[in-house]
Amino acid sequence: MAIYLLVRILGGVVTLFCVSALAFFATALAPGNPAAVLLGNLATPERIAVVTEQMGLDKPLPIRYFIWLREMLQGNLGTSNLSFKPVNDLVLAALPPTLELAALSLALAIVIAIPMGLILAQNRDRWWTRPLSGLVTLGISVPGFWVGLLLIVVFSMTFKLLPSGGYVPMTRSVSGNLRAMILPVLTLAIYLIPSLVRFVRVTAANVLREDYIDTARAKGAGRWRILLQHVAPNTLIPTITYIGLQLGVLISGAIVIEIIFSIPGLGRLGMNAVLNRDYPVIQGVVLLAATGYVVVNLLIDLAYSLIDPRIRTR
Amino acid sequence: MTEISTPVRPQSGAVSYILRRSPVAALLVALFLIAALLGPWLAPHSMTDTNLGHALQPPNATYWLGTDALGRDVLSRLLGSAGIAAQAFLIVVLTGGVLGTLFGLVAGGIGGLTDLVLSRVIEILQGFPTVLVAIVIVALLSPSLTNAMIAVGLAAVPDFARVARGVAIQLREREFIQAARGLGMSEMRILASEVLPNMVGPLIIIASFDGAQAIMWEAALSFLGLGVQPPYPSFGSMLREAQNFLAIQPSLAITVGLTVSAIILGLNLLGDGLSDYYDRSDK
Repeated sequence: MAIYLLVRILGGVVTLFCVSALAFFATALAPGNPAAVLLGNLATPERIAVVTEQMGLDKPLPIRYFIWLREMLQGNLGTSNLSFKPVNDLVLAALPPTLELAALSLALAIVIAIPMGLILAQNRDRWWTRPLSGLVTLGISVPGFWVGLLLIVVFSMTFKLLPSGGYVPMTRSVSGNLRAMILPVLTLAIYLIPSLVRFVRVTAANVLREDYIDTARAKGAGRWRILLQHVAPNTLIPTITYIGLQLGVLISGAIVIEIIFSIPGLGRLGMNAVLNRDYPVIQGVVLLAATGYVVVNLLIDLAYSLIDPRIRTR
Repeated sequence: MTEISTPVRPQSGAVSYILRRSPVAALLVALFLIAALLGPWLAPHSMTDTNLGHALQPPNATYWLGTDALGRDVLSRLLGSAGIAAQAFLIVVLTGGVLGTLFGLVAGGIGGLTDLVLSRVIEILQGFPTVLVAIVIVALLSPSLTNAMIAVGLAAVPDFARVARGVAIQLREREFIQAARGLGMSEMRILASEVLPNMVGPLIIIASFDGAQAIMWEAALSFLGLGVQPPYPSFGSMLREAQNFLAIQPSLAITVGLTVSAIILGLNLLGDGLSDYYDRSDK
């Protein structure tokens, strides 16, 4: 058990190390001297030399990387090249909208997709599952951000029911917050649901082929009892792993959706930083997202090894 | 995600099977190929020349699908976008397919410690936020189709690697592989000349699914301004421009979205059809 834990944690650390190196070297090797950018109109060769030394830019790259890494580990993400605000503050301010969007969409997707996948697997041979399966394939094929645009056209432009974007903090108005969140959450959920349904359907169909399902059937268990008591729990573990791995898709989707619905979250912060070459902010956003991805997947893995002892030995 | 069972050598029946069982897939993919290959010759107007006097026209006799905000012919730009989508498909499938197959083939074929290490690397790559990698690559280099698609291709490596590894492990103990081993062929030679040809079918399935994803990501990244740069058309950059005119001319966004969805749907249906075909020919 201890070894299993250690291997998983080590894997997570290695991933984060790779990401941090990627984030650092991608920005450090990018064209343009940050000292010159910082000085702007005031730049003279002498001043650039002084600032370059002050910023530590004259040191060799690997040393700069470790200095930078030490700051990161102490929770200091640096200062924005653009607004001169601490990256920590910028990132913290952008976190709540992104977390809310991601959490609500994921919850909605799970509530719809898991029952749908189970029912589709159970009724594989019925005629009415065919159009539903077709709908799932269609759903996988439609770009999520286009669905967002269509929802804006229908619900905010034609019927003027919902705002087409923006973000209202929970603390100011709970109803305003939720109203502004409906369309983005719906868009992201519609994007997540089809692939999740597909995964649950395939997994549940495999579980249905197991011998213990035949045993349960032979003992007289009804269809629904088999589905809920035997198929659902055995489908759930791989599904949770899948959702953990889909976190990357969730983050990517959230970035696009924040842009469409002008939500001031991490995605928009990161995109603006890229377009303005604001490297400290890019690094902060990338590191934060990667840390979230690694930590959540680690927690999922650890949770399983507690639930299911077989996993530890694998 | 897709279940791929015991592999067989690809059979010439695949094309006729697809034509018979999923004609919709065949039709959509054929239209996509025609548009991508012959687009520049089929386009009735220029893809990039602007004509502000003819801006935002609804579909009419001259401009069959109308014009965009700069008066460019939507049909011509859609044809150009199909070519870009095909490029995205190729870059992603080549990057992901070559690296992934190599990883999977070596991991599954050799096994042991090599497999353990490579599997970990694959696991780390798997599901990593594509857009984040794309953002970093684009921040380092500059926004362009190739840069954005290399990021997406790297994200596709695990899919190919998983399938190649699975097939390689299944095949390792089969009689014909052992026969080759008995004849004194080296492990590398066996992997290249005996195992690899047997995974072509499953790899084509993954290529059609991941290629479909590639087209979707191209649209998303160009929509964000990280991919194809104006004035060149791509589904994503067309949607980005259409977004500003949703209130005036929503049909613009609808036409572009329907076109890209139809292409992706065709490729996904093709993947489904091929999976059925290879599943069936096993039995």
